[in-house]
Amino acid sequence: MRRVAVVGAGMTAFGEHFGLGIKELLPMAVSEMAAHVDKGLNRDDIQAAWFGELTTSDGFPTGILADTCGLLDIPVTRVENACATGNDAVRNATYAVASGAFDVVLVVGADKVRESSARSTFWEWAGLTRDMAWDYPLGLVAPANFALHVARYLHESPATKEHLAMVAVKNHKHALPNPKAQLRYEITVEQALNAPVVVAPFNLYDCTPQSDGAAALLLVSEDVVERYTDRPVWVRGVGLGLDRVMHQHKKDMTTFPPTVKASKAAYAMAGIGPEDIDVAEVHDCFTGVELISYEDLGFAEKFGAYKLIENGVTSIGGAKPVNPSGGLKAKGHPPGATGVAQCVELFEQLRGEAANQVDGARTALAHNIGGPTAVSAVTILSSQRG
Amino acid sequence: MTTVTAVGTYLPPWGSARGRVLGPDEDAVTLAVAAARAALEQATTAGSATAPDVRRVVFVTRELPLLVGGNAAALLAGIGLPDDVPVVEQVGGGPAVFDTLGGAEAGTLVIGVDAAESGPVGAAAALVAAGDGAGVGVELVGRVVRSLPVLSRANGGGARDYSDARLERERGVGVAIERLDLTDKPVVVAGLPAKQARALCAGVPPTLPTTGASAALFAVAALAEVGGGGLVLAVEQGSATALRVDGVPAVRRDEPALLAPEKLTRTPGPDIAISLAAYERAFDAKLRWDAGACDACGTLALPPRRRCLNCGSEDGWSLTPLPRTGEVYTVVTVHVPVPGLPTPYSLAIVQLDGVDVRALVKVTGAPAGTVQIGDRGRLVLRRVAVRSGIPDYGYALYPDAATAADAGEGAVR
Repeated sequence: MRRVAVVGAGMTAFGEHFGLGIKELLPMAVSEMAAHVDKGLNRDDIQAAWFGELTTSDGFPTGILADTCGLLDIPVTRVENACATGNDAVRNATYAVASGAFDVVLVVGADKVRESSARSTFWEWAGLTRDMAWDYPLGLVAPANFALHVARYLHESPATKEHLAMVAVKNHKHALPNPKAQLRYEITVEQALNAPVVVAPFNLYDCTPQSDGAAALLLVSEDVVERYTDRPVWVRGVGLGLDRVMHQHKKDMTTFPPTVKASKAAYAMAGIGPEDIDVAEVHDCFTGVELISYEDLGFAEKFGAYKLIENGVTSIGGAKPVNPSGGLKAKGHPPGATGVAQCVELFEQLRGEAANQVDGARTALAHNIGGPTAVSAVTILSSQRG
Repeated sequence: MTTVTAVGTYLPPWGSARGRVLGPDEDAVTLAVAAARAALEQATTAGSATAPDVRRVVFVTRELPLLVGGNAAALLAGIGLPDDVPVVEQVGGGPAVFDTLGGAEAGTLVIGVDAAESGPVGAAAALVAAGDGAGVGVELVGRVVRSLPVLSRANGGGARDYSDARLERERGVGVAIERLDLTDKPVVVAGLPAKQARALCAGVPPTLPTTGASAALFAVAALAEVGGGGLVLAVEQGSATALRVDGVPAVRRDEPALLAPEKLTRTPGPDIAISLAAYERAFDAKLRWDAGACDACGTLALPPRRRCLNCGSEDGWSLTPLPRTGEVYTVVTVHVPVPGLPTPYSLAIVQLDGVDVRALVKVTGAPAGTVQIGDRGRLVLRRVAVRSGIPDYGYALYPDAATAADAGEGAVR
């Protein structure tokens, strides 16, 4: 397979974009990406596109992407893989380029969560991931899906609610310099612990906000990379992992097997291990999920995640900074856009251009988990061609 | 002469000194199921090892959850009876329950339920012996049917209270009892406030938790406190039915200790969608608490599934009963408002005893947030949600801790 590089990246700010529809957000992200390609992008060069979106707000997704971004003459494929949609769109586009089928492709991720009434959003989104007869009527709100795991994790591991709060504090702090982040303010551990309960053990600051937004990447083959930049970021590994969809069928809820499978595949493809990762964007839709993911991604030993957050290992300045963008927690989480936006952040990190730069970052990892905990996608990017 | 094998009773934990009230996940069907299961468990304990022979169910209440759409299938599934047992869904009060019990055929399970939102609520069930089964004899003494609608509730309309207690006492109950021309005083009276009942009885009658359909059977159960059989009366406005019970029946009470009702937030929103196709596919396993057992290797799956979780066989599966006790593997409590569901509520994954099956269920009968990992409980039928007007029944975890304080009262009498 041919090597694949990211040569352009862009995204809208994440937030409650009541004033912007999906038809505005998509061209905004694609145009920002195009404007940041070092040697320029002629849009006619784009040969195919992959569009990650969970729910559609204004109709037929691929048609909307093609129509609103001036891409009517190329094939567009929608990718939907729950909250792992973004990195799965990257994975599919990567294979298309690596295979030799295309040289220049577009990856876009977007979602418009704040488009329906707050009261109808829950049941609409629950329908995407719940068994209609058995689970749906129980009122398994999004935080509850993850809280079931984290409650058991807190029971079995030395980690406490204080450690959850530390994750929130860190990611809020990381978001401060990020102009694209939704929640740009600092919080304290005390504030997090005393915030209103959403789904115990999660308080308000343990949870991602609801967000709208779009993000875009340009992926090209090694054969044409020099046309676009002298400083490409290489897609070194991609992976996808799945698990049983119903919580009651998951044997050990202190881990997310999809993450283990996806990262194993991505590390193997990249020929590296977790110790080689300099910076990571990890799916912190809820604080405890970031902790469990440290272990599933191989950053910490089983039940050792609390040490990383306690000792500042995953803060900027630490040995393995996680979520320098602010993460889902503070940057925001429009599901289809999230994974693509993680790669936008890591593209900038690996080129030394990030708002919250990690010094000397050469290899990076992006991670999504969703469905709610039945699918994971991992992407490994590097400034090193490998 | 009819023989009553066993009586079962159920009261929700929620309420005050004025009476019990429905939990957010209860209705007349779930109450009926709880009382019926108590009666059948008692009958099984008292009699042979085989399941009691139930040939007919009469469900008497004024709070039928559905008038069109049916409650009978849910009732049979929840009680664990086959789907070929006839069910009479009867609108009525205490006298109607005694009318049925007095002339019941062998194998009839009579269930009386009070489930009005305003309370007091409760349910009781009596199993009439099939054949020459053991039990106490019950005989209809007399009946009078009159009209004095001091309280009224029309089809689809609200309740009206004429509000004249003396008229009701003198021209309603008073005249009805006079017309019955009883030879001796009743030992228990159902359908009246305690003070009024006491005035009519020989001795001091036990206080009953309800005044409607269930009260008649609570009165029969109360004979244990009276210490013997006797005349039992069920009255309602202008009507009354008298029954003679020849002794103290075997009674099992599912009556947890009283808890103050939780302060629940109800958030309006769009109807919770339902797929009736999915509802129909899941119905038997979901309401009977059955797993699918793989025909090839026996592995249990909840819900039942085509491809075995263990051996991958797709050759078929058979419904098989699941254990109704288990231990909490993980639990969370939802505090955010959820449209259509009263909050807060706890959700638990329960490891069932003795099988490799976990279930994701709501917690019932205990305040949200009080259940911990490792706690034990039993699985009971509850109304999980109302979806687009349709009651969606399933199982919930009733923590043992919530009932432990009341073990004495819950025990067999």
